[in-house]
Amino acid sequence: MWSVWLVALLAGVVSGVGAQTAPAIDADPSMVKGPPTAPVTIVEFSDYQ
Amino acid sequence: MKEYDGRVRLVFKDLPLPSHALARPAAEAARCAGSLGRYWPYHDKLFAAQPNFERADLIRYATDLALPREAFERCLDSRRFAAAVEADLAQARALGVRSTPTFFINGRPFVGAQPIENFRSVIDDALRGPR
Repeated sequence: MWSVWLVALLAGVVSGVGAQTAPAIDADPSMVKGPPTAPVTIVEFSDYQ
Repeated sequence: MKEYDGRVRLVFKDLPLPSHALARPAAEAARCAGSLGRYWPYHDKLFAAQPNFERADLIRYATDLALPREAFERCLDSRRFAAAVEADLAQARALGVRSTPTFFINGRPFVGAQPIENFRSVIDDALRGPR
């Protein structure tokens, strides 16, 4: 089974746009590009069609 | 992505819309490719091939990438990643995401396929750090 690790990607949501409860976004490591140390994280919700 | 090499991390989340009948099998297939070590090449192939996502197409894209056919088929047919795709959908709902593509750039929502300059402006802003 692939491992999923939790990342507090949306910490910015809490302070940034005033969302009260930002759900944690989990990322499948195989669906991530770029270094974990990158200062900017872009989460893209999309479909293929 | 290239111009921000090392400074930007991209996390892809599946949001197959109900109006796109083949988007869900495509999303599951991409994760199958990921489990076999080729998520991004398969992902790119799907975007180039849309909307040809019948089972035979999905398998062909996998074999084009030299993925082991039997393992890929087993993954696809058993719908091994159905729950994972569903979990992404639930997260999208929780975040109020209703259309694709929707981005969060350091948590800041960015909706729709907008011109690259708009992207740059939000990314550059995020790179300057919190205000």
